[in-house]
Amino acid sequence: MEYWKDQHEPITAFLKLFEKAKEDPELSEGLKKVNQLIWFDYTEDGSDCSFHVDCRNGQVVAKQGKPSEEPDLIMSLSADDAHRSWSNKLNPVMAITRKKIRVKGSATGLLKLAPKLKKVALIYEQALNELNFLDKILK
Amino acid sequence: MYGNTGEILLVDLSSETLERKKVPEEYYHNYIGGAGLAARLFWDWGDFKAQPLDPGSLLIFMNGPFAGIRLSGCSRGSVAGRSPLTGHWGDSSCGGHFAPELRFAGFDGIVIRGQSHRPCAIVIEPENLRILPADEWWGLGVFETTSRIRAKFGKRAKSLAIGQAGENLVDYACIVNDNHHAFGRAGYGAVMGSKRLKAIIVKSFEQNYHAADPEGLDQLRRSIDLKIRESVTSQVLHENGTAANLEGGVHTGDVPIKNFRSSFWEEMAEALTGSTLSEKYLKNKAACAFCKIACKRVVEINEGPFAIPKGPGPEYETIAAFGSMLGSMDLAATCKAGRLCNDYGMDTITAGSTIAWAMEAFEKSALTLEDTNGLPLKWGDMKTVVDILLPQIAFRNGKLGGLLSLGSHKASLQINKGSGEYLTTSKGLEAPMHDPRGGGHGLALTYSISHRGACHTANPMLFMEMGACYYPEIGFEYELEPMSEENKAESALLAVQLGAIENSSCYCQFADREITIPEWVDLFNFSAGYNWTIENMMSAGLRVFYLQRLLNFRFGLTADDDSISMRLLEPAVDGAPEGVPVEFDSMKKRFYQLARLDEIKGIPDRATLDSLGMSVEASYVWN
Repeated sequence: MEYWKDQHEPITAFLKLFEKAKEDPELSEGLKKVNQLIWFDYTEDGSDCSFHVDCRNGQVVAKQGKPSEEPDLIMSLSADDAHRSWSNKLNPVMAITRKKIRVKGSATGLLKLAPKLKKVALIYEQALNELNFLDKILK
Repeated sequence: MYGNTGEILLVDLSSETLERKKVPEEYYHNYIGGAGLAARLFWDWGDFKAQPLDPGSLLIFMNGPFAGIRLSGCSRGSVAGRSPLTGHWGDSSCGGHFAPELRFAGFDGIVIRGQSHRPCAIVIEPENLRILPADEWWGLGVFETTSRIRAKFGKRAKSLAIGQAGENLVDYACIVNDNHHAFGRAGYGAVMGSKRLKAIIVKSFEQNYHAADPEGLDQLRRSIDLKIRESVTSQVLHENGTAANLEGGVHTGDVPIKNFRSSFWEEMAEALTGSTLSEKYLKNKAACAFCKIACKRVVEINEGPFAIPKGPGPEYETIAAFGSMLGSMDLAATCKAGRLCNDYGMDTITAGSTIAWAMEAFEKSALTLEDTNGLPLKWGDMKTVVDILLPQIAFRNGKLGGLLSLGSHKASLQINKGSGEYLTTSKGLEAPMHDPRGGGHGLALTYSISHRGACHTANPMLFMEMGACYYPEIGFEYELEPMSEENKAESALLAVQLGAIENSSCYCQFADREITIPEWVDLFNFSAGYNWTIENMMSAGLRVFYLQRLLNFRFGLTADDDSISMRLLEPAVDGAPEGVPVEFDSMKKRFYQLARLDEIKGIPDRATLDSLGMSVEASYVWN
């Protein structure tokens, strides 16, 4: 991995991102509109390297690992590309076309989030700052 | 012959004769089929002096070699000829069910000339080809005409029909298949109307497709179909139609607002996007023949001023053309406007854009109440659009209806008063609902160099710029930045070849994103037996692109016509593309160098034409 020293670091960062996103009214509303159980699968970088977000029923809950229920959507990619993606430095369409991101299930909900990626990137930067992951911030 | 039948139906409506005609086999290898083969046949048989609505003009319907294969996306067809809207060579593509049925009935295409002395219909059944009087259908809309065709010929019959707009020679009248699918662009419905041809009906008895390598094709077909079915794009299109990403497009500045004057309107984005259409009005999903994506919408609106019964719903282009372009976020109104256009038989892109042009012209006093017969044209006034303007245009009623039936380009020439500044066209064709300033600067280039005028389906540049294409086998590995000119000319050179291949094989641009370049070659070889390499295939694409330019040169177009309205180039005032200039001239210059186009004539040099086996064609344009 280019950005992470172990498989736990990225999950820490991404869970922090979602914790902060929930506090932002606009992003929180956007996430609720996704209305799906999504598994972000980075297990190509380690068996524990994944987390899931449950945006169903008007809530947003992010937890480490694979969800116990069948997810509506699985996004499989490397932890490095996930870092680029949350930093808004990866064109998701291009990444899917070039098989850097593999998608299984309905991506319709995620389209709702696409316009908010710039804001997500700002909050992700704040999350990295709070975690003292300053060297990981992509400019 | 494999894949193709090798035969077209030649119809002379003046003499009421129908003739089966063989097409030389090398024409298929050199010009593929569809739009390419139509261009080739016009080159041979067309009357370059005939105006688009003259009896001597040719109207050419042409299939691609894949029509009839049970594979998602490959059941489209082309129509081509001299466009009434633009005055030069053009073509238009349509999905639905007509193309495979025509193939099953034994024909690759239909070439129509002449003018019937009375309203008529062409009926194609194996061993029973005929021209029937159609007086009782004349004056009807597309829906009623199609309904009567089904009553007379049975539900299995597939038809193409024009509505009142075609009969009244509206310059952007379209041709509609089975109520829901349209040869939308460039006005070929008016050409049918000028020939007094109300409909074409085709009915086959068996669904045979004679592939060169049936086993290879079957295996390939299954594997491509699975990829298409499972792709993210297909799933999104299936769930929410072609407007699925309208909301995202607003945020990138791709969706035009108020005649391309604004690039951002957040509230409208959610109101008009595909998921909103699904939630509010969707009743069913529909598909073209053999397509697993089913991106078509069937909608119903039960109440309100724009109530409509269950029937064909709008696609992205229609929603944006009658929504954001007109300053409206009334989704029901876009459904109703689209439904009316289907019934009258009018292109929704040109209709919406022409009305947007008129609204701006009225706002800026280039059009006055005197011109509009006292009707104020206001942004967002969809009642006026639906209840008054669209019927006036379709029937060419009154001064305003007559003016707007010409399309924005000719209407602007008629009124002048600086209204050319409000145009959003290239070569007289209104730009689709993808703003090059936000959607991608390469679009400005490919709109301008397209033979038919500003069109997003002439080639896949839109998809290339959004990142949905990756073709390392032909050198397309660019990671394009939409709002930049970097590598756009290089990409455009590949795009025009791929676009010619798509439009000549008549493949859907949404579905074929999943097909790799080697798979494309295999598809041609296994189906039609072209025995191509990648290089052969790309050369055929280039040959088609060049032939279309040669046709336009013979119609009087030159390099200067590879231009685009200033409105589409001037820096946006808001949204993601705000203030970013489009470096059009440098992109065009670079493209001309790469494509070896003469900077005055706009056509390829003689040596380039010779290298593609087009020496005879070269002799017509180079002395």
